[in-house]
Amino acid sequence: MGQPARPPHAAMPPEPARQQLSLLPVAATPAPVPAPQPPETRPARSGATRARQEHWMAIDLPHLALDALARAEPDPERLQRPLLVVTSGAAPRVHTANRAARRAGARPGMALGDALAVLDTPELVEHDPDALQAQLEMLAGVLLRFSDHVHPEPEASRILVEVGRSRRLFGGLEALGQQARETLVELGFHPRIGLGRSPAAARLLARLRTPAIAEDPEALRRLLSPVPLEALPLANTTREGLHAVGLRQLGDLLRLSRPELARRHGPELLDLLDRLLARRAETLPRFVPPPVLDLSLRLEHEIHATTALAFPLKRLLRQAEAQLRGLNRSLQGMTLELIHREARTRLTLERGQPGIRADEWLPLWQTRLERETLPEAVIGLRLQAPHLLNPADRGDSLLAEDPASRPPADQLPAVLARLRARLGEQAVARLINRRTPRPEDAQRPRHDLAAIPAPTAPTPGQRAAGNALWLQGPEPAAPPEQPQWLGRLEDGWWDHGQDARRDYACSRDRQGRRLWLYRCLRSGQWYRQGYWG
Amino acid sequence: MGTLDTLLDHPALWRGRSAAPAPDAPVWPSGHAELDRALGGGWPRGQLVELLGAPFGCGETRLLVPMLAACGHDGYWIAVIAPPATPWLPGWQTLGIPPERVLLIHTEHDRDTLWAGEQCLRDPAFGVLLAWLRGPVETALLRRLRLAASESRACAILYRPPNAAAQPSPAHQRLRWQPAASGLELHCLKGGGHWARSGQPLRVPEAPEA
Repeated sequence: MGQPARPPHAAMPPEPARQQLSLLPVAATPAPVPAPQPPETRPARSGATRARQEHWMAIDLPHLALDALARAEPDPERLQRPLLVVTSGAAPRVHTANRAARRAGARPGMALGDALAVLDTPELVEHDPDALQAQLEMLAGVLLRFSDHVHPEPEASRILVEVGRSRRLFGGLEALGQQARETLVELGFHPRIGLGRSPAAARLLARLRTPAIAEDPEALRRLLSPVPLEALPLANTTREGLHAVGLRQLGDLLRLSRPELARRHGPELLDLLDRLLARRAETLPRFVPPPVLDLSLRLEHEIHATTALAFPLKRLLRQAEAQLRGLNRSLQGMTLELIHREARTRLTLERGQPGIRADEWLPLWQTRLERETLPEAVIGLRLQAPHLLNPADRGDSLLAEDPASRPPADQLPAVLARLRARLGEQAVARLINRRTPRPEDAQRPRHDLAAIPAPTAPTPGQRAAGNALWLQGPEPAAPPEQPQWLGRLEDGWWDHGQDARRDYACSRDRQGRRLWLYRCLRSGQWYRQGYWG
Repeated sequence: MGTLDTLLDHPALWRGRSAAPAPDAPVWPSGHAELDRALGGGWPRGQLVELLGAPFGCGETRLLVPMLAACGHDGYWIAVIAPPATPWLPGWQTLGIPPERVLLIHTEHDRDTLWAGEQCLRDPAFGVLLAWLRGPVETALLRRLRLAASESRACAILYRPPNAAAQPSPAHQRLRWQPAASGLELHCLKGGGHWARSGQPLRVPEAPEA
């Protein structure tokens, strides 16, 4: 939830808009290059206070409940059938109806019994306000990439974003609105966006689906004048009173004298008008996102095959990408929990380099999931990141793409994640020198490839055994005919009973193999240690 | 035939269909002058080379040590996929191959070996790929590997059993090796240069101990 209100114009002294842009999380946005454009027309600079430069974007999500369902639904056919979101209780009511259900006559607010009378076996889904609030806050986190001042209003399924300070960065209000819309549509939501000079105006324009943008108070007044009074958030008595005296449009109201209006219809009406026309500032608390990645998705249908998980997973990864862009964080590994009825399957994935792009993570997860067989049906997904990283400099630079350039010395090949995803964590390894003399246990495979260990030089004992190429566990061997002696290995007498005294040699056998052998000085027995190469 | 070969190898003569690498094509040194010449400068980068022969351990890996050392020295990674034994990395290190650049990949099946090889070749961090196949494989998979190799800057070495020679392969070069009195004897089964046409084996003596 939002933090206590911090009035923006009280906390900071008035500053030119350009400098305020540095507060925004710009590094992670996908290059929204502010195109050079003629400076926007502004009201006279001298009198322009911070409050007057504010511009609000209201994003109405009237279909939030349906959108949230559709996101988890891999089968688009199912959404074509009538579907009702129902509030539970003594008298269940329709909270939301999808298009098919509305066409058949179901309306939000209808009693469930009435809706069932007009619909032929609709799908019923229970209304879950907590889930919707979580969705809305997730989206508020996503919208942080457009502004640092975001305010979700869960009871109205609406998010308000202050965009007056970031409009130039995104190439104007219209382009900004469009980008916000695209971002949300990509996540599977259907926003209605209104832009106004005050939160109240933006809310009203979003509800009326008016795409027009009013830049100055006079234009806003013209834009709002034809709005019917029914559209205003007024108390019923006030609305009826206004209707009774013959007032129909907002413009009629604005022409009347203010003291008279206040006297007849109460100060709330004046307050609303002032807020609509941005004459009075409205302070909204700022949304502060939780600094962790923990997203879950409940599947309406059970999924039995790993391949079918790709669709909901893609949604989840997109959401993670958008949220991390908003937070300006990156990540290198994540955990996916497949939620079954009884149990959970935890899968982790670690990459060579940090990154947040969904289309990089999805193929990795797909290869990882191919290896899994589901013990039981999956009813939900949960994506978590153990720790988020600060974003590195842009990894996908032009120079790294050049195949002629050398690979960076301290970076792991990006392919490791894919190999491990398909072959298993244990299949990909580096060998670490343990610096013990006996070759058969001198090397330890290391599967954690996150860091490159410092190279260790071979010990003198290891050198004495010769520079053979291939190692095997010692196996008894026949004495060679013409051994080429390499050196003597003696490890500690302190190694209780395990001490080894060996003379190493290499020799060629009948098949032409170059064997790497040693003779145990204790027993005189020959052993094969590996191949010379 | 000999005269024709001399003529065809004349440096002033350029043949469009010549598959031998151009003089400035990237190669890894083979550490052996005659082999360098036969291979057209060294082990070719951006090509798939099959080495056919048995048994494991006759010196067919030691043959590649100069290439591996050069590759590691240049900061590229070496992928070792499904080797029949464990690499003895202190030995590799003594021969100049940085062990921290060696990535060991175990696979269960030849199909996985080829898949892993293809993935590594698609990563620009790799300079050399060594992969061992145990049995016969589908030509389509080899063709994928060849394609990945030709789009990469790595030299892909595929060790296969000798009976694979009977099966045609899309590899750029195919060499058959067999142990000889001192070192290896290499026959070029497929390749672009003079060596393949001549049909002459090349004896590569064992490198003196480093």
